[in-house]
Amino acid sequence: MEMILYFILFGFIVSTLVGALISWIDRKVTARLQYRVGPPLLQPIIDLVKLFGKELLIPKGASKITFLSSPIIGLVGIAIVSTLLCMINIWPEKTFFGDLIVVIYFLILPSLSIILGGIASKNPLASIGSSREIKLVLAYELPFILAIIVPILKSGLTIQIGQIIGYQAANQAIAWSLSGVLSFIVILLCIQAKLGLVPFDIAEAETELAGGAVIEYSGPALAIFKLMKLMMLFVLPFFMSIMFLGGLNFTGVGAVKSLLGFLLIIVLIIVIRNTNPRLRVDQALRFFWGPVTILSIIAVILATRGL
Amino acid sequence: MSIKLKALLKSPWVFHLSTGSCNNCDIELLDCLTPRFDIERFGMVLIGSIKHADVLVCTGSVTRKCIPRIKEVYELAPRPIIVVAIGECSLSRGMFIDSYNCPVPLDKIIPVDVYVPGCPPKPEAIIAGVTKAIEKIRKSIKEKK
Amino acid sequence: MKREDILNGIKDRFEDSITEFSDRSKKRVYIDIDHKVIKDVIKYMIHDIGARFNIASGIDARTEMEILYHFTIERINIIISFRVRINRDKPEIDSITPLIKGAEWIEREMHELLGINFIGHPNLKKLLLSEDWPEGVYPLRADYKEWDKDAIRDRGVK
Repeated sequence: MEMILYFILFGFIVSTLVGALISWIDRKVTARLQYRVGPPLLQPIIDLVKLFGKELLIPKGASKITFLSSPIIGLVGIAIVSTLLCMINIWPEKTFFGDLIVVIYFLILPSLSIILGGIASKNPLASIGSSREIKLVLAYELPFILAIIVPILKSGLTIQIGQIIGYQAANQAIAWSLSGVLSFIVILLCIQAKLGLVPFDIAEAETELAGGAVIEYSGPALAIFKLMKLMMLFVLPFFMSIMFLGGLNFTGVGAVKSLLGFLLIIVLIIVIRNTNPRLRVDQALRFFWGPVTILSIIAVILATRGL
Repeated sequence: MSIKLKALLKSPWVFHLSTGSCNNCDIELLDCLTPRFDIERFGMVLIGSIKHADVLVCTGSVTRKCIPRIKEVYELAPRPIIVVAIGECSLSRGMFIDSYNCPVPLDKIIPVDVYVPGCPPKPEAIIAGVTKAIEKIRKSIKEKK
Repeated sequence: MKREDILNGIKDRFEDSITEFSDRSKKRVYIDIDHKVIKDVIKYMIHDIGARFNIASGIDARTEMEILYHFTIERINIIISFRVRINRDKPEIDSITPLIKGAEWIEREMHELLGINFIGHPNLKKLLLSEDWPEGVYPLRADYKEWDKDAIRDRGVK
């Protein structure tokens, strides 16, 4: 019974609120960098409330079940990941065998839901957006999985997140070693692609594809997609912070240090977003399967040596 | 005022449709995004697909080829929607009133809520026009009560 | 080739077809030519001189119709325009689209707006006017009259 309470609390409420705060920080910093005033504080929440009040239009030849259920698939996937990560961070003894693999598996669901939604709408622009997203997922999943091996190796060949947190609490954080730095950079780039931010926002390229894979969505279905993106803005840097910086502590001076680490990841994401143009999908594929994969292989080799 | 309408007025997403204009009004509309007249502080964003939009901004005198397409775009927009006509050409076709290719003005094809005159109107005029639309909706809600 | 050589070359080659040669300024030359030799002139300009076809213009002068073909030679900074005059009651001329692919659309536009028939054009259909435009009504002619009963031509203010 209490699992449902945890699911609603950690899965939806915490991730939505913190995700909305991070999205506002992102828009405000971008506006300030361009010498403008940005939107007010509650803008992401107001966008969601407005979208829930609009009409829902389904295109005529689209398959209704896939069209309406793909946002929900993505939302449920990210909510499960958020619940798991929050619970294991607060109570590291609740970890179970193989929960790292569960988390990696459920993290594919948001990208999959966008692909399904784009293919289910009967629109050629949406199918181009979906096919580009498929190529992008193929590109970044490979170095992502390779770089996740580094924390597994360094914390004694364990695939339980609670034991990775325990290892980092006992020794230093994984990001302070050479292989840790390299895999930190690799996972930062993969997260940039997973979140759909410049330079990898190929699937939702606004001026080129008129909205990309979500072009036919309106009203509450679009609101669920935007909510999913907000929650991903919280969950993915949180995942990085758990794997490489030891998670979020709540007591003592460790609280300030871990919060600064979390903010550092967000600042890096915003800086990369504001200083780069958008890549084409073949350039992104070559980038991820070329330098980034080689970097992650070097990181894994260094981790086996103990560096 | 209901919370739906409050949220609509605080975050209107703008879709830009040009029906055969000389592009001056389009440039002035894009000027509104620049740092001097920043409209993102009101929550307005220039959006790519009509199905995500709350405000439909039309520029240009309406050519014959464009009339069925304007009707289709207006039907695709999810309600509630506000239509803004910008520039002399969409109000009354301006200097092209005797042209062979522009038979009717814009408000004979789709219902228009706000008219912004000027050739081209300054960005301050465009922002004032959209603000007047918001005020008009607020007043009409109050009068209904 | 220099400017004088090019102009003298055109003058010598098409001696009996040129009716008027007006050297307006350093950058603009207008040459009036008989409409039967237009294809040879175009071939000469493209292959022998190496000019680039820029655009064509159509005019309804009240007694006849005129078409101007504009060619540019960038290395000596000159635009040469060839003017042909054709009959106004039944305007016809050879199409230059088989020689220059880029002239296809301007000839379609001249056909639908002025009513000039281009013999040998591969694809002579409407370019800019809408599908429900009536046949035989050419808007850019001098005697065009309003045919649309539903058009609104007053501003609505007294």
